[in-house]
This record gives sequence, structure tokens and C-alpha cells, in this order.
Amino acid sequence: MPRDAGLPPGTLMMLVLRVLMRQPAHGYAIAQTIRQLSRDELSVEEGSLYPALQKLLVKGWVKAAWRESDSGRQVREYRITPSGRRQLDEEMTEYRRMSNAIDVLLKEA
Amino acid sequence: MTFIGDWLRRLGYLLRRRQMEDDLRREMESHRTMMGDPRAFGNTLRLREEAGDAWGWRWLDDLAQDTRFALRTLRRSPGFTLTAVVTLALGIGVNTGMFSLVNGLLLRPLHDDDVVIVDGKRDFTYATYRDVEEGTTDIFAHLAAAGSPDFLGLDAGDGARSALVHIVTANYFQVFGAPPAHGRAFTTEEDRPGAGIHVAIISYPLWEQLGADASVLGRLIRINGDQFTIVGVAREGFQGLSIPGPEVWLPFGARETGFTLVGQLRPGTPVERAAAAVATVGRRLDQALPSADKTYSLTIDRPGRRLLFMQGPGNGTGSLLALLPMLMPGVVLLVACLNLADLLLARGHVRRQELAVRSSLGGGRWRLARQILTEGLLLALAGGAVGLWLSTWATKSLLASVRPLLPVAVTLPDVSIDWRVLLVTVAFSLVATLVFGVAPALALTRRAAAADLKRHAGDEGHRPGGIRIGKTLVIGQIALSVLLLASGGLFLMSVVSAGTADPGFRLDGGLVVQVDPGLAGYTEAQGRQAHLALIERLRAVPGVEAVSIGSRPPFTSIGDSRDVVPAGTPVPQSDIPGSVFSVIGRDYARTLGLPMLRGRDFTDAELLSSAGERVAIIDTELAEQLWPGEDALGRLIQFIAVVDGVRSAENPPLRVVGIMPSVKHSLGEPRPYKHVYVPLGQHYESAMTLQLRLAGEGGERAMVGTIARIVRDVDERLPVLRVATWQDHFDADLEASLYRVGAGVFSAFAGIALLLAVLGIYGVKSYVVSRRTREFGIRIAIGAQPRALLRQVLLEGSRITMIGIAIGLLLALGAGQVLQGILYGVNAVEPIVLIAAPLILFASSVLASFVPALRATRVNPTVALRAE
Repeated sequence: MPRDAGLPPGTLMMLVLRVLMRQPAHGYAIAQTIRQLSRDELSVEEGSLYPALQKLLVKGWVKAAWRESDSGRQVREYRITPSGRRQLDEEMTEYRRMSNAIDVLLKEA
Repeated sequence: MTFIGDWLRRLGYLLRRRQMEDDLRREMESHRTMMGDPRAFGNTLRLREEAGDAWGWRWLDDLAQDTRFALRTLRRSPGFTLTAVVTLALGIGVNTGMFSLVNGLLLRPLHDDDVVIVDGKRDFTYATYRDVEEGTTDIFAHLAAAGSPDFLGLDAGDGARSALVHIVTANYFQVFGAPPAHGRAFTTEEDRPGAGIHVAIISYPLWEQLGADASVLGRLIRINGDQFTIVGVAREGFQGLSIPGPEVWLPFGARETGFTLVGQLRPGTPVERAAAAVATVGRRLDQALPSADKTYSLTIDRPGRRLLFMQGPGNGTGSLLALLPMLMPGVVLLVACLNLADLLLARGHVRRQELAVRSSLGGGRWRLARQILTEGLLLALAGGAVGLWLSTWATKSLLASVRPLLPVAVTLPDVSIDWRVLLVTVAFSLVATLVFGVAPALALTRRAAAADLKRHAGDEGHRPGGIRIGKTLVIGQIALSVLLLASGGLFLMSVVSAGTADPGFRLDGGLVVQVDPGLAGYTEAQGRQAHLALIERLRAVPGVEAVSIGSRPPFTSIGDSRDVVPAGTPVPQSDIPGSVFSVIGRDYARTLGLPMLRGRDFTDAELLSSAGERVAIIDTELAEQLWPGEDALGRLIQFIAVVDGVRSAENPPLRVVGIMPSVKHSLGEPRPYKHVYVPLGQHYESAMTLQLRLAGEGGERAMVGTIARIVRDVDERLPVLRVATWQDHFDADLEASLYRVGAGVFSAFAGIALLLAVLGIYGVKSYVVSRRTREFGIRIAIGAQPRALLRQVLLEGSRITMIGIAIGLLLALGAGQVLQGILYGVNAVEPIVLIAAPLILFASSVLASFVPALRATRVNPTVALRAE
């Protein structure tokens, strides 16, 4: 069973931004991508995804626009903005630093 | 930066909210349909709300919701709403009113920013004024000269009185951007010194007084006896540099005067540049007109706020008196807030179940408290709005009550509503909300909901928290009301004592005529001649029994005070209490309705010249000081002269030829001033007051016009400052008038406090009775006497009233200590006030409980019991 819980706070926003780096996507696609790329390890529920997307909009890190999808339905597609890219860079650097530190500690302690 | 960006985006969201919410809805809908199992998608409404919260506008939604709900609730109980709004309107209105007075007098800018004063260390002459004007044409659009406002005798056709007159140059009105409303400004021709062109511009209030029509232009008025033609009427409310605004402006060439320069800067001229420019002109003047001891050193200043009437009765009581009324409105507002808190609590108990239900459905305590506060805020804002309206009326009546203190047609500062007053009113409303709303909001939302849900509607067995707070509120309210009532009472008492105070002489049947020949340029010889001619003529008027003249009649300024010692005694080197020095004619005591106690009046020879032995009449106070317990008649006295700090006795000494009873000189004096009187022949003063005693009783008011006409006929150029009855002269005394104003203001405060107390007690009692319908029903059913019920309800809570009254009495004693120093004829402990104030309050509280109590006795047992 994929799990939503256990994501450290703020991580979801980073994941969403990272997914949008590949290409613009709508909400459902974002959730699916996270799930697939994490090999079903991570799943994002709508209850977390949409507040996160709204926050990204407030911060100006993504923009949203309606578009007709390949299957002909209207979808709202999110696109990362330049300031979103910068934010993602910063967060990933920070995340790697933390994760390395924790790794080292777990191995050598 | 990102912070600002965030907020801009949030604002954008708020503006396009409907569309944004719609986007979210459609988006989620499409997400749901794309999912294999649409039912797996959560509650869309809740998800949408949670997602929308990211924009941070939740509080606004809550506020709107609270407001809508509060409006509905308040509409459902119009009685409560009306009481609350009236209560707050009174409390806030009094404060707004007081503030708009302070605002008008002290805060509101008097002039546009571009009006500045040019100050110099040397006095300007007309020529140097013109030099400065010519040297600064690139700085000032207009540069005018203005004398210092002065009181002169004005006769606009209705008898002479003193009026504030301001001497100004032709362009003075342009400096303030306020050309006359009617007629014209002065001309440069009229400015020229010595031009002597007698034209005048009158104030708007004076114009209204003269009939407010075009025919006023061209009419003649007399100023200090000289005739002037009215050529213009100043704009309504125009004051210029003088506060309050004068009644008449005269052109620069009409009279000689010292003056200051006031200019209007050209648009965009910085003050620094103006300062540099006038400094340059000043240096040039110094070179052209060198003076050994002073340079011009011209500087730029802002027009100050020199209030003409602020000297007051001295030794700080004036300022304290001004401060007290400023504090009292705060007390009134506090009473109103306590009252309202009480009402809210009482109402809160009615709404207990509603609150309990909401709380059990998930309404957090903070959310519920906020709901109650929102209601309070709405009430306070409504109260503030009504209060604002009330305050315009209140300030008008307050100003009207100050009017008698001031010359008739001066222009008072503008006290109308501006943004400051609006802001302060809103602030008062907010503060009031906090004061009256927080305690009930917390008390009502404190308890566990379950207990209240289970509680029976009629069960008043034990009411927690709120009631204790309620008691404190009632006690506070009653205590403050007693304080206000007692303070008002003290003011009223002082008015009564001032009005009935024995001035030491007969007020009825007397007239005074103040003249000052010096103002019209009379020499000493001409002035003496004018005084004597007036006495002579007035003596011949039928119905006039006696006429005298004096330089310092009672209830005028003390003016000349001299140290007097028995002749030949060592000169004291420290100050001794001075005596009021008066120059008088014959019959002085008689015109005051007083006997000569010992000795004789002055002789005709003594009135005409100082030849022969110097003589004086003294009063009993002075006699007692100089020769305690001995006869002063026939003894010699000397005045102490101070020359270069050295005291010496003046020669020759004066023989005491008469002793008069002492008279009061002002109300405030703790004991009568000492007086020494010398005959006209020994000393000349230009400003004198003729005193008339009429033969009949009570005819003096009718005589005022006749006497004014006769005085004018004797010498129409003679400046006459006032023709009035003794009683009016006495009533116009500054201190007495201040007591009257104070009494009016404080009585109004006390009245409002009493009204609030009655409203509050009525409200709370009604609530209590309605809650206990069942209890009363049962008691009536088992045979309780209506009388007994009535008495019980009336007396219930009287213990609390008593505690409140006791605390209030303590406060009143404290207020008495403060007011004692300010008020005339009032002690710190005034039994009448200390008994009457609580009695009035107690009686009112019983009266306020009467209707609810009566309702309790009329409870129908069957209806009451079935209602459960």
C-alpha cells in the first residue's frame, strides 16, 4: 500500500516542483508521476496535493493555465516559473546536504 | 521583495476569487473523473476549502460570516440593540465632542502651510516693513503687517462695549487667501501711516448681528469714540493671526501700533530659502539704519497659537480646570462600557444554550468569543456613528456656554468634524469594544458546553463565572456614577454660592459706565475734564441718586497694588500683602450702597488738585492690618516705592480721613483684599468707571440705553467700553462664568451617567425577572403575596448597589479634594452633595427596577409552569 504519511514537511512542494521540471502537468498527472517515479513507494493524496499547489501559486513558483489535454478534456496545467527553479535548486541542495549528513551519521555512529 | 510579491498575488486572488475558486472546483472535478475510482477522491467541498486556505483569506471569510450572523442576531433583539447603541453613543459622543474641541483649539492647523511670520529683534517701522516687502517679492506672494489684537470700545449702534480689534494692512486678507465675503479689503492708500481714513472691516458674526444684509456696508460704527465706515465683511470663520478672531479690522493708517509681519510664501518656496532671503534683507537694513544695541536679525517662524483668553484666574487653576473636563468624558465612557458589558453578560446567559450547541458542533472557544466580540464591535461602531452626530450638537452647546465669557462677536476656532475627529471616534469605538466585550466573551465561552446543554432553560440555581463579573461591573458602574453625580453637584453648589455670594456691596439699583479717554488721545487735562463733565451730567439725570467714579471698581482686574505702612515706621524689606490702589471721586461708598464707617468723604478741593495735605480713605481690612484693634482715623500712612530694588517710604505721607467697609474684588479671594482710596486730585488715570446708584428699585436695566445715549451726547468722541448694570458686570466675572460652564458640563456628564445607570439596571433586572418566571409562578401558585414579591425584587441586589455607592462616595471625597481648590465656596466634604448623590442614584435604581419587579408579580402561574 503506497503511503502518503511520513513525508517530511515541505518535501511535497519540492517533489511537485521537481516533477514540473520535466514538463508542465496537471494535478492528476503530478500525483501519478510521483507515484510511478517512486515505484509506488510514495503516493500523494488530493488533500495534500491541492493545498501544496495553491501554496506554490501564492509563492509564485508555479503558474497555472487551462489547456486541452491529448484526450480532449480540459485540464489545468501547472508550469514551473524561473523563481520556482531557483527555489527547487536551493531546496535540493539543502536536502542533499541534510541527507548526506544523516547518511554519514547512520553509517559511522 | 518576495513578501510583497506574495501579497500582490494574494490580493489578486481576492479580486478574482470567484474565478479562482471555480478553477479549483473544475480542476478537482477533472482529477476525480481521471481517477479509476472517483469515490476514492475525498470530500470535494472540504478539500476545496483547505486548498483555498493557502491564500490566507480565511479570517476575512470568518469575519464576514461573523458580521452577517451578528447583524442577524442584533436585528432579532431590537430592544437590546437600541439600548446598547444609545449607551455607546452617549459614552462615545461625549468623548468625541471633547476631542473636537481640543482638536479645534490645539491640533487643527490654523493656516495653510505657506503662511509664515517674519520676526525681527528690532521693531519694524512702516518704512522698514515696506523695505522687507520689496526685498522679498520673489519669496512672498503677499507680505502683510498686523498689530497685536486689542480691546477697544465699540459702539455699533446698540451702546458701547469692549471689542477685539485688529489693525492690519491692505493685503492681510490675501495672505490667508481669504478676501472679504462682502465689500472690499483695505487699500494701500488707507495703509499709509497717518492717513487717518476711518474705514473698517467687520467680522462675519458682527455682520450677522447687524442684520446680515448689504445695507451694513457704508454704515457708521464708533470705535473709541471715532466714527468708522464699514467697507467690508470678513469671510465666515476667518480669524487671521488672532485667536479668537477679532470683531473689527482697521486699516494700518487708522491708528498707530506695534506690529508683526505675516506673509504668504510663493508656491513651492521652501522655508529655508525664505529664511535666507529675509536674513539678507535684515543685514541690508542694519547697514542702512545702524543701531548701537540691536540688529534686525530677521527670521522666519510659524504663526503660533497664542490664545488671548488663556491667562485665566492664575496660579494654575485655569489649566487644571481645563484638564478635568478632559478626564470626565473618559469616566462617562467607562460607565457606558461597564453598563454594556453587563447587558452583554445578561444576554449571554440567555444565549447560553445557543453557545453550547455551537461549541458542541465544533465551534472553538476563540471562534465563539470572536463572534461575541464581533457583535460588540458592530454595536460600538453604530454607537460611534450616532455619537459623532451627538457630539456636533454637544460641542455647539458647549461653545455656546463658553460664549458669555467672550466678547460678543469674536470668531471662535473651528470645531467641526475632520479626519482627526473621525479617527479618534473609531479609536474610541475600538477601545470601548475591548473594554466592554472581552470580559463577557471570555466568561461566556469558558465553561464546558455539556453542562449548559443539559441545563434547564429556567434553572438559575448556580450561575458560574459570569455573574461574579456581572456584580463587579455593576459595582464599578454605580461607583463611577456616584462620582460623576457628586462632581456635578459640587459644581452646581459653587454656581449657587457664586451667584448668591455677598460681594460686600449692593448689586441692585446700580449701573457702571467704563470710559477711557486716553484711547482717543485725550491728554490728562482733557481726560480729567471729560470725567468730571460726565459725573456732572449724570448727576442731573432724573432717577439717579448718586454718581461716583473709580479706577478699580469691584470685579475688575486688581491692576495697581501698593504696599502701605503706617507713616514713620521702618520700611519692611520683604513683601507685605499689597492693597488695591484706587483713585475715586465723591460718594464712592454711597454708590456702592455702603456707609462711611468713620470720618468723611473727599472734598471738592481734593478732587480738583493735590494742593494741601494729602488724604486717603482706607477700608476696614487695611485699617485692621495697620493698627490692629486701634482707631486708624486721622493717622498717617505711606506708600512703599521700589526704586532699583531699594524700598523706601514715599513722601509726603497721607492722612486717613475716612474708613469704609471692605468690598470683594473677585470671587476667588480667600479673604477680601485691602483697599486704599485716594481722591481724583492726587492721581490721574485715564481708564475709569463711573458708578451710578438709582433712586428706585429694579429700574436699572431699563436705564442702560438711556445712560449710554446721555454719555454719548456729553462727548461723542469719548471711548466708552461698557455700560451695564452692576449685576451684569458681576455676572460677567470670569471666574463666575467658568463655574457656570463647569456646572453645565458636569451636570450633563452626571445626567448621562445617571441615564446609563437607569438603563443598565433596568436591562439587568428585566433579564433576571424573565429568567425566573417559573420560580415566581410557583411562588404565586403557593400563595405568595404580590407585595412581598415586589419588595423582594426591588431590594434584591441592593447590597451590591450599596457597595457601589460606598466606593463611589470614597471617589467623590477624592474628587472633592481636587475640586475644592478650584471651585468657589465649596468644601471637600459637602454633606448635601454626599447625601444627595447616592440618594438620587438609589432612588433611580429602585425606579428602574420597578417595572421588571411589577412584571414578576403579574406572572401567571399556569402559563409560567406550562411554558417549561
